[in-house]
Amino acid sequence: MSAATAAPGRIVVDYDDDIVRKFFLATVIWGVVGMLVGVIIALQLAWWPANLGLPWTTFGRLRPLHTNAVIFAFAGNICFTGIYHSMQRLLKTRMWSDTLSKIHFWGWQLIIVSAAITYPLGITQSREYAELIWPIDVAVTLIWVVFAINFFGTLAIRKVKHIYVAIWFYMSFVITIAVLHIVNNLAMPATFLRSYPIYSGMTDALVQWWYGHNAVGFFLTTPFLGLMYYYLPKAADRPIYSYRLSIIHFWGLIFLYIWAGPHHLLYSGLPDWAQTLGMVFSIMLLAPSWGGMLNGLLTLKGAWHKLRTDPILKFMVVGVTFYGMSTFEGPMMSIRSVNGLAHFTNWVVGHVHSGALGWNGMLTFAVLYWLLPRLWNREVAYPKMVTQHFWLATIGIVIYTVAMWAAGLMEGLQWRAVNDAGQLANPIFIDIVHRLEPFYWLRLLGGTLYFLGAVMMLINVFKTIRGPERVAAAAPATAPAS
Amino acid sequence: MSKETNRVLGHADEADGIEEYDNPLPDWWLGLLWFTVIWAFGYGVWYHFISDRSQEGKLAAEMQAAELRWPEQAMAEVSFAITPEAVAAGEGIYVQNCLMCHGGDLEGGIGVALNDDEWIHGGEPEDVIRIINEGVPEKGMLTWGPILGPEKVNQVAAYVLSKNAELVGE
Amino acid sequence: MAENGMDHGSEKKYGQFHRRVFESNAALFAVAATVAILIGGIVEIIPMFTPAGTEHSEAITPYTPLEVAGRDIYVSEGCYLCHSQWVRPMRAEILRYGPWSRAWEYQYDRPFQLGSRRIGPDLHRVGNKYPDAWHYEHMRDPRSTTPGSVMPPYPWLLDDRIDPEDVRASVIALRKTGTPYTDEDVAGVEESLAEQGAAIVARLATAGIETTPDRSIVALIAYLQRLGVEGRAELEAQGVEY
Ligand code: HEC
Ligand code: HEM
Ligand code: HEM
Repeated sequence: MSAATAAPGRIVVDYDDDIVRKFFLATVIWGVVGMLVGVIIALQLAWWPANLGLPWTTFGRLRPLHTNAVIFAFAGNICFTGIYHSMQRLLKTRMWSDTLSKIHFWGWQLIIVSAAITYPLGITQSREYAELIWPIDVAVTLIWVVFAINFFGTLAIRKVKHIYVAIWFYMSFVITIAVLHIVNNLAMPATFLRSYPIYSGMTDALVQWWYGHNAVGFFLTTPFLGLMYYYLPKAADRPIYSYRLSIIHFWGLIFLYIWAGPHHLLYSGLPDWAQTLGMVFSIMLLAPSWGGMLNGLLTLKGAWHKLRTDPILKFMVVGVTFYGMSTFEGPMMSIRSVNGLAHFTNWVVGHVHSGALGWNGMLTFAVLYWLLPRLWNREVAYPKMVTQHFWLATIGIVIYTVAMWAAGLMEGLQWRAVNDAGQLANPIFIDIVHRLEPFYWLRLLGGTLYFLGAVMMLINVFKTIRGPERVAAAAPATAPAS
Repeated sequence: MSKETNRVLGHADEADGIEEYDNPLPDWWLGLLWFTVIWAFGYGVWYHFISDRSQEGKLAAEMQAAELRWPEQAMAEVSFAITPEAVAAGEGIYVQNCLMCHGGDLEGGIGVALNDDEWIHGGEPEDVIRIINEGVPEKGMLTWGPILGPEKVNQVAAYVLSKNAELVGE
Repeated sequence: MAENGMDHGSEKKYGQFHRRVFESNAALFAVAATVAILIGGIVEIIPMFTPAGTEHSEAITPYTPLEVAGRDIYVSEGCYLCHSQWVRPMRAEILRYGPWSRAWEYQYDRPFQLGSRRIGPDLHRVGNKYPDAWHYEHMRDPRSTTPGSVMPPYPWLLDDRIDPEDVRASVIALRKTGTPYTDEDVAGVEESLAEQGAAIVARLATAGIETTPDRSIVALIAYLQRLGVEGRAELEAQGVEY
């Protein structure tokens, strides 16, 4: 437990930091696991024998494990870490219920474990990012309700009148994920392990991509913007650049995001009008997305000199910059003709990972390193390793995304190329697959560097929390704890 | 961004000490927002109502253009002859594309045997070339014409015929 | 608590309004945010349930029990993560795969399997493209039929068996979602499985492959061999070229 600085006349609050530490450690551990699986499936694409000839380890079964582990376990747990930590401080109150906090934590980890068991066994719904089977979906719903009650309960007992922008973003996360999860998973159970969706065909596809795109919007974007609005000004010790920009880009973002799902179904059997809506709303998303990037980067104005020495700010700047890049690339890829080239190719994978590794990953590392000494009241064990992690991760992302962009462009062009007679220039599909191999090896290299960075962080974290407690200036030196 | 005031709003005690500036929206950002909004409406109206477009219409136009550019040609006249060069080139093509169905010694398997003198579709060079070109889609023999092109079809046919003659002759 | 700040800056009117109305009232904020995030989904998804939203065709029949079982294997193995079932309306795709995929062809697809990646080729028109034996060998060892393929082998599908009761449960659930199976279809699941399975086993036998009708591979072949077939036939019947 820590307390708000007890300045005279200020409220002293006994914050629940135990729950924050729990989510913190879960983030670090699941992050390493999820990225390890990413490295394994990257190897499988470059070298098929890595599928190991076992049912449980084939690409088709491990890929959902990777995506779910990095999104719901790694990104999800950092969102909860940041929310439980910053929300209590922003609202100057302890969480409404410690019991609900604990149920949320253990419930969520249990759901992740059940995902890690079911996917390798081939037990899946096949809806991307919603592969969990119906009994686990029910559990997710219950745990989310627990989280929501605790979240709004805490808002109800807040000790400040006005709600800061970070909380707005958290709130949109809590509400929207509930709506998306429930609507997308409505299904008729056949057995305990299998169900069939109430939607069929193109309607099913539309519902799923309405969900899928907004999983990006409300799981990988809004809560992370919330984290940025709290931890970036804290780390830089600067005021937020523009309050008005916060307001406009918040409402613009959450209103527009929801419409953009059909950009995953361009040139399909989906009616043309729906495809057009998906495309134009994606274009309109550019400015609200960049509003977030601007408020992040411009907040650092006047703190640029700190960047040279502070690895946490380095992580943040690269993270926010990649956010800007992927939210520029996304709208471009939503343009019909561009999507015609990019869709189905590794370009999409490059886009995904510039957002995921660049924005989500880097911001997560920044928040973790910022919290580490504060949560455990210890000095970071290997401060230089933090900077090394930063460089490994940055180089890793660049190699990964450049390799995938090149691969995607190449395969997209070769799929459609025709010869002088108007026939396919590359009629044999497997020939194109072979030309991708070098890019897959490069991606594996980039991904491995990024993964090694995360392992260094894991080591640093465990070494730090085993280390001696910080000595308060006034207090006499005490024996190191544990 | 010259309009920056850098005046703090003084909300910090309600945001755990985080201050916020009262800066206006950057002009170029606001411009970008309005531009995309106007473009979005303009594009939607243009696409659906003014030029009455659709993905099917676009495909039809693409197909028409292709027909003009590459009119239905008579199969390019590529000479056919069972020369050692053609047979050697044909063997490589056979191993890559046909072996899995017709077997290493033309003995068949997934596809029919080609090592005997029983031909379902005729054993003359033009029959074999035609069947390779057009395939037997309902039986699982692929239409190789567009995949391999006339020259390679001739080469692989040369290989099949010479190997067949060799095997039958024995 | 101190109400300060308002008099410090020159926040535009909307800033003051936002602060007074929304930021001080969590419930109102939550309601406003909920409305904001609901609109887009409602406008896009609801029309899909009207006749104008998705097309329907009598030419497409529901999956047979064996095909349902095969489809479940396709889902379970995660084939959709490498293979799309979605030929786009573009000339190059039509040349490579066949007529582009119409909405009505998917009408009984639960869950949909359009996919989002093409690590391997599209499969929406793969039905009847290859003989059954090709699929059998391909699943056992992809490199035996496609030299240099990067697909993992699936030899266990050759041994695993499907359970008719499990398939019946699927058919019943699908029926509840609106797939037009009759009482006879539900009662005749076992018979139908055996019959369709036996036909495939017989075709495999002509290529020298011995297996039984209840193997997973047989169900998967049944599913793959029907992909895109009815749709293509219907398009041909309508005289549509591509
Ligand atoms: C997917 C398996 C498959 C592949 C690959 C394949 N074929 Fe065939 N092929 C068949 C089948 C099945 C038949 C029998 C068609 C029938 O019954 O009418 C056949 C028939 C033939 C025939 C006619 C035989 C006859 O008795 O008239 C020829 C010639 C032939 N194939 C040549 C080739 C060549 C050359 C290639 C490679 C470019 C090739 N095939 C690739 C499956 C295949
Ligand atoms: C060590 C780092 C990582 C490696 C090596 C890696 C590798 C991969 C690979 C090989 C794929 C499959 C791509 C394909 O279909 O061809 C993939 C997919 C994906 N990964 Fe990662 N990944 C890593 C980290 C992450 C992180 C940190 C996130 C998210 C926070 C993430 C999110 C995703 C998502 C969402 C997909 C699905 C993409 C799609 O459907 O197009 N990955 N990853
Ligand atoms: C304005 C913002 C964005 C827009 C308009 C956008 C648009 C797109 C488009 C057009 C695709 C390709 C769909 C396809 O052809 O299959 C895509 C895929 C994807 N994007 Fe974005 N993107 C945006 C931001 C982001 C960010 C910040 C992330 C962060 C992680 C992200 C994650 C993904 C993922 C995971 C996919 C792959 C989905 C799949 O196929 O499985 N996107 N996005």
